[in-house]
Amino acid sequence: MPSFSGGVVGGGVGGPASAPPRPFRPSRYVPVSAAITFLVGSTTLFFCFTCPWLSEYISGVIPIYIAVIFLFTLANFCMATFMDPGVFPRAEEDEDKEDDFRAPLYKTVEIRSIQVRMKWCSTCRFYRPPRCSHCSVCDNCVEDFDHHCPWVNNCIGRRNYRYFFLFLLSLTTHIMDVFGFGLVYVLHHRQQLDTPHAAVTMAVMCVAGLFFVPVAGLTGFHIVLVARGRTTNEQVTGKFRGGVNPFTKGCWRNISHVLCSPLAPRYMGRWWNRQTVEVQPPFLRPSLTEAQLEAKVLDNGIQNDRHSSRSKSSLDQMESQSADIEPPPPPKPDFRYPGLPRADTEASSLLSEAPPTPSMYKYRPAYSSPGRNHTGVTHPNKMTRGESLDSPSPSILQSSRQPSYRSEPSSLDGATVVGRGVGVRRGGGDRGEGPGGPGGMAGVVSGGVSGYSLAGRSYTSYPSSLVLSTGGSRSSSLRSAQTVHNPLATLQSEGTTDTSYKSLANQTPRNGSLSYDSLLTPSESPEFESAAHELSPQKPHVPFLSTAGGGRPGVAPPGGPLQGYTSPFLSAQIAQQREGQLLQGSTTFSSPHRAYLRAVSPPPSSSPGAPEARHLLHHNQDLTSRIPRNPSSSSSSPGARSLDPPVSPPPRGLSLTKSPVHIGETGSQHKPRPAGAGAVLGGGGVGGGQQAPQSTSRPALANHTTSKPVGGVKKVTGVGGTTYEISV
Amino acid sequence: MAETHSLQDMRQQAAVAAKVFIQRDYSNGTMCQFQTKFPSELETKIDKQQFEETIRTLNNLYAEAEKLGSQSFIEGCLACLTAYTVFLCMETHYEKVLKKIAKYIQEQNDKIYAPRGLLLTDPIERGLRVIEITIYEDRSFSR
Repeated sequence: MPSFSGGVVGGGVGGPASAPPRPFRPSRYVPVSAAITFLVGSTTLFFCFTCPWLSEYISGVIPIYIAVIFLFTLANFCMATFMDPGVFPRAEEDEDKEDDFRAPLYKTVEIRSIQVRMKWCSTCRFYRPPRCSHCSVCDNCVEDFDHHCPWVNNCIGRRNYRYFFLFLLSLTTHIMDVFGFGLVYVLHHRQQLDTPHAAVTMAVMCVAGLFFVPVAGLTGFHIVLVARGRTTNEQVTGKFRGGVNPFTKGCWRNISHVLCSPLAPRYMGRWWNRQTVEVQPPFLRPSLTEAQLEAKVLDNGIQNDRHSSRSKSSLDQMESQSADIEPPPPPKPDFRYPGLPRADTEASSLLSEAPPTPSMYKYRPAYSSPGRNHTGVTHPNKMTRGESLDSPSPSILQSSRQPSYRSEPSSLDGATVVGRGVGVRRGGGDRGEGPGGPGGMAGVVSGGVSGYSLAGRSYTSYPSSLVLSTGGSRSSSLRSAQTVHNPLATLQSEGTTDTSYKSLANQTPRNGSLSYDSLLTPSESPEFESAAHELSPQKPHVPFLSTAGGGRPGVAPPGGPLQGYTSPFLSAQIAQQREGQLLQGSTTFSSPHRAYLRAVSPPPSSSPGAPEARHLLHHNQDLTSRIPRNPSSSSSSPGARSLDPPVSPPPRGLSLTKSPVHIGETGSQHKPRPAGAGAVLGGGGVGGGQQAPQSTSRPALANHTTSKPVGGVKKVTGVGGTTYEISV
Repeated sequence: MAETHSLQDMRQQAAVAAKVFIQRDYSNGTMCQFQTKFPSELETKIDKQQFEETIRTLNNLYAEAEKLGSQSFIEGCLACLTAYTVFLCMETHYEKVLKKIAKYIQEQNDKIYAPRGLLLTDPIERGLRVIEITIYEDRSFSR
């Protein structure tokens, strides 16, 4: 009995994560040896004793035909025996995210709307793909596991099932041929049965006849399996006995898949070409961080502390990255850029000075390990924030520094304008809010950073940033969802937007806002304007996007009245609102929105005509209308409530994370954005989803408008924790 | 050999911070498709669109590899006729596409992922079960 080397016959050796060497077990090779012996031996005898007479007296083609069939059988046998059936390499340790004990044994996937269970393989350390099974003989998980065939001493799986099937077919044919032609010979030599030739032929016939029954039975069995698209394993274990087989594609397709599909690749024993890609910091960051930055601007409260750490790191990143990756920006953006470094440095300086510093360190590790830790850390922030505004500061900073920053504002239309200078952070926030997941985190960061930067600048700057961020956050959620998808488009639109905003800024009188006069560069004014625009979004993103191109000019004229909104009164109110909001830790837009609303409410009466005013009004209405619709949400955002009970925090989803109730309500309202869009980043997801509801709510809210009380005393908490009351 | 070489490479590179695994998408059966869902860990690292584009291209390439086309049929017939000896000299259709995929992943890594501190691992190294994305630690922001 020839003894094969165990490993080779096993068919799965070599390559990384290969199975451990198996002990040499001679008993495994008995069936395969026997099979080979019978097959080769019998056929050889047949050729020697029977074929000469057959070729002479019947036809010369017969031996050739039998030889061909025999070769085909042998080739398939060798392929079935020596070919890797589709062994999965052992999973590397990194893939084990959970401990064995904690990992669920089964994971369910839906295949063509049929639930299929994937079992955890403790040996191979992964969840077995559908149709995969672990062979105890080979100690390997095999893809599309059929069975372990002792006659070939190999598993039959995806890669060698075809050869096994063809082997069965050809062996059945061969056996039939041998038996048939042997019978012919014997019938012609009835009187010479004592000759050795006849005796051998009869012996061969017996062997053939003996093996024919099981082989033919197995062949028929597999023909049925192939037609049904099942594996032996599935058939024998009765997996689809009562139900539907999700893997079948129809009889003809199943057959063609078995016979004609491309040979699947081998997973084991591959010579991996290690990627020689150098991964060196500094790394680029996506443009989403701009939105996050913008969102951060709004957040001026406790969350800022947490964010400050992020923003600081993001600042660093951005500084380093921008230096590396940014080509010299075109003149217009350059104009704005000078503001950015100031903001950044301010934010960073703020971060370094203030109480945020401890939290910064706390979050540093989270930020540096962007894996689970990061999300884990950011999640709580987000939760408290409830808004995408509260995005980690680093993202904000990054966005402001990076080229993406430039693209951000453009994508956000109004948000883009805001994005400039102070608005930059808002842009980040916007972005953060829009796209589901990313938005949430980004928004958080941006919110924090923006808050800091604003605080650093001046009180008056608050309103602008607040307004900007408010608008930004709102519009960002609207737009970020859209803009995320077209960073390039944003870049292009950015150009136009910038222009329009710039022109807008130029047109609007500067005297409208104290803060802007004193602090804002021309680039900033447009931000404010854009913020205003954003705050009064007429429709979901679409109008904003359209304005990016040409709408802006249309909006520009109302800049005057809009400027009127940026009165000191408004600024102060907004600032108060912001601080109050921050104090309460409401991470919802509500505060900024409310501040804006409040600020805007009086102005509409004073500047009635401007379409922007109307926008603002609508915006206010939208916000205010939300209040009654989401009383729970209002209550769930205490911060927002305290400041302005009637103006509930707009359930932009920013507050989603903050209050579950609020989230629920918001979520229900914003169907377009499924929660899945941004799990934790609910802020982002909801923000995005809110776009539609905004539009719907706006008309509904038309009644509310400026009915919100404007008077009263507001408690505002400053950055340092000082609390002061402001009568509005 | 390859392992040590890569280790040397790694030493000069940034440290690995985390790994994200993109699982297979089995909604269409056992066809090799990967989920295009954007993992949360990559939110701050790369554009969602970029990532989805990469995954979609990979899915298309794998679909092309597994397609039951004329090429695979001819290959099968030829293999049968030559008693599978043709596999000794010719590369199968799937292998050809795998090479294309490897080249694509290398290109994506060079252009997009490495500058962002990410590295895609060819899923064939994991048995076409997962796409492993290594997130490298970003130390650039340390002051």
